[in-house]
Amino acid sequence: MIKGRYDDENLKWIPLLIGLVLLIPFALKGMTFSYKYYIYILNTIGIYIILTVGLDLLSGYAGLISLGHAAFMAIGAYTSAILVDQAGLPFMFSLILSPLIAGCFGFIIGFPALRVSGMYLGLTTMGFGFIIRRLIIALREWTQGSAGLVVSPPNIFGFTIKGDWANYFLVWTLAVLVIIGARRIVKSKIGRAFMAIRDSEQAAEASGINLAKYKMFSFFISGSLAGLSGVLMAHTNHFISTDHFDSMLSIYFIIMVLVGGAGTVYGAVLGTLFIVLLDNLFVPELETLLHTMFSIESGEMESFIFGLVMFLFIIFQPTGLYGMWLKMRIYWKLFPFNPKQRFT
Amino acid sequence: MNQLVINNVTMRFSGVVALSEVSLNVNQGEIFSLIGPNGSGKSTLFNCINGFNRPQEGSISYNDTDLVKSAPHNIIEAGISRTFQNIQNVPFMTVLDNVLLGAHNRIDTQFTLKRWFLPGNREKEEAMALKVMDFLGIVNYESKFMSGQPYGIQKLVEVARALISQPRLILMDEPAAGMNEQETFEIARIIREIREKLSITVLVVEHDMNLVMSISDRIGVLESGEIITIGKPEDVKNHPEVLKAYLGEGFDA
Repeated sequence: MIKGRYDDENLKWIPLLIGLVLLIPFALKGMTFSYKYYIYILNTIGIYIILTVGLDLLSGYAGLISLGHAAFMAIGAYTSAILVDQAGLPFMFSLILSPLIAGCFGFIIGFPALRVSGMYLGLTTMGFGFIIRRLIIALREWTQGSAGLVVSPPNIFGFTIKGDWANYFLVWTLAVLVIIGARRIVKSKIGRAFMAIRDSEQAAEASGINLAKYKMFSFFISGSLAGLSGVLMAHTNHFISTDHFDSMLSIYFIIMVLVGGAGTVYGAVLGTLFIVLLDNLFVPELETLLHTMFSIESGEMESFIFGLVMFLFIIFQPTGLYGMWLKMRIYWKLFPFNPKQRFT
Repeated sequence: MNQLVINNVTMRFSGVVALSEVSLNVNQGEIFSLIGPNGSGKSTLFNCINGFNRPQEGSISYNDTDLVKSAPHNIIEAGISRTFQNIQNVPFMTVLDNVLLGAHNRIDTQFTLKRWFLPGNREKEEAMALKVMDFLGIVNYESKFMSGQPYGIQKLVEVARALISQPRLILMDEPAAGMNEQETFEIARIIREIREKLSITVLVVEHDMNLVMSISDRIGVLESGEIITIGKPEDVKNHPEVLKAYLGEGFDA
């Protein structure tokens, strides 16, 4: 037997990932004066990565499409805001409890998933998103309706975490843990069960996989991770309202997973990086460019760009950014002897 | 005695009678073949044993376990695993992982938890799969992706996935469908070895008469959901009703 056949098993990538995450903020600080803005963007990326990795476990691995993931994020965010600021619970406690509550909602939405699949499940989860949004507005007593809620900064064992710099380490510690955890899950029998459910329910059942159990579990874990990202979002942004969690955001999450490469954890990470950077760095530039060159006032460029990016990816690169990376790696491994059509 | 007992099973799909009062026994350690024309209910019978279909009447039991009342994912715990006629696998997983899929119940939660924190445990999983793959002669394919593999290999992976759960009875749905002569010969050898080396009972559905006649201890013939005859290969070969079902009336043998 050959040892360490799979990249994942020797775990070389974990120190690399941690090193990268630790290095980037200091590198940015050394390079630019406006580093705080970039740190803020990185925080957003970290928060979204927690969610998209969870969404990838559900939609990419188990093949259960969800178009309502922003709702789980909202549940996590509002639950934590209410628990910490109104019920007076410590942040650390809420950090564990709120995702679990969001996970329980995932468990509930998992019931229709036992019956419907594909597009119908997408619409069911989308409906769930609408319901949660209305529910948050309706529970005015706790959530202040559509006016939004001011949230206190996270307080860990007496230390208040304030500012983008401190938030970065909180967010990315959790994000790295989530990435590592998700990798470990998908490489174990649970990951195999998820993929079997996606590709062949019959083979899964004949192999002794309880479909209901694993579908529910994937909804639970995905909902919990979305809840966790909601908690972080609430406590690092200090303000949440229902507008933060509209149905468009759910669709952006799906775009992130698809563009990165559905069914791979790194795909979700890369996709989130790509889309958020595109949104925050490229789109404003483009809008200014259009304004100065052609004096076009272009609002809402991001929807246009995202739509185009997703369209192009689905047609030309269905395996996403991660698939592209794998192909590139094979290309350089075989470098002088490449088959011609290999690199597309 | 260890055996599969199918007793008066009737299965209707809203008016269409797929199986009517089918009764047969499969004894421990024998190779039993089910043959019959297309649409005669062979696969339906498999699905009934496997829990995918619930027969309206009759009973199916294996070692005193009532299979009609069991959920499909519990059948494997009774010691029965199966392969599929049209290949069912996970294309974007390696061949080794596809085989390991069948070991789902052999890998307990405690082991999974250890796997999450200790990297070395992967090898224990792999050893399980490699043993079965070695038996079937597909070890060379272990780290390749399932999607690009030749048809014959994909069929063998199906068998490997069924074997890794250490069943007492294996249901094989057309193991030689779409295979060439060489591969069919190989399958025949494998089926015999499954019985002789692993002492697993084999219940096989197959259209290839040469294969069926050469490997089977007993053969059951299904026609329009009814059992015509059950017997030794040579008896079945010359049974008038079997000839009628296969070759049509008026055929003078």
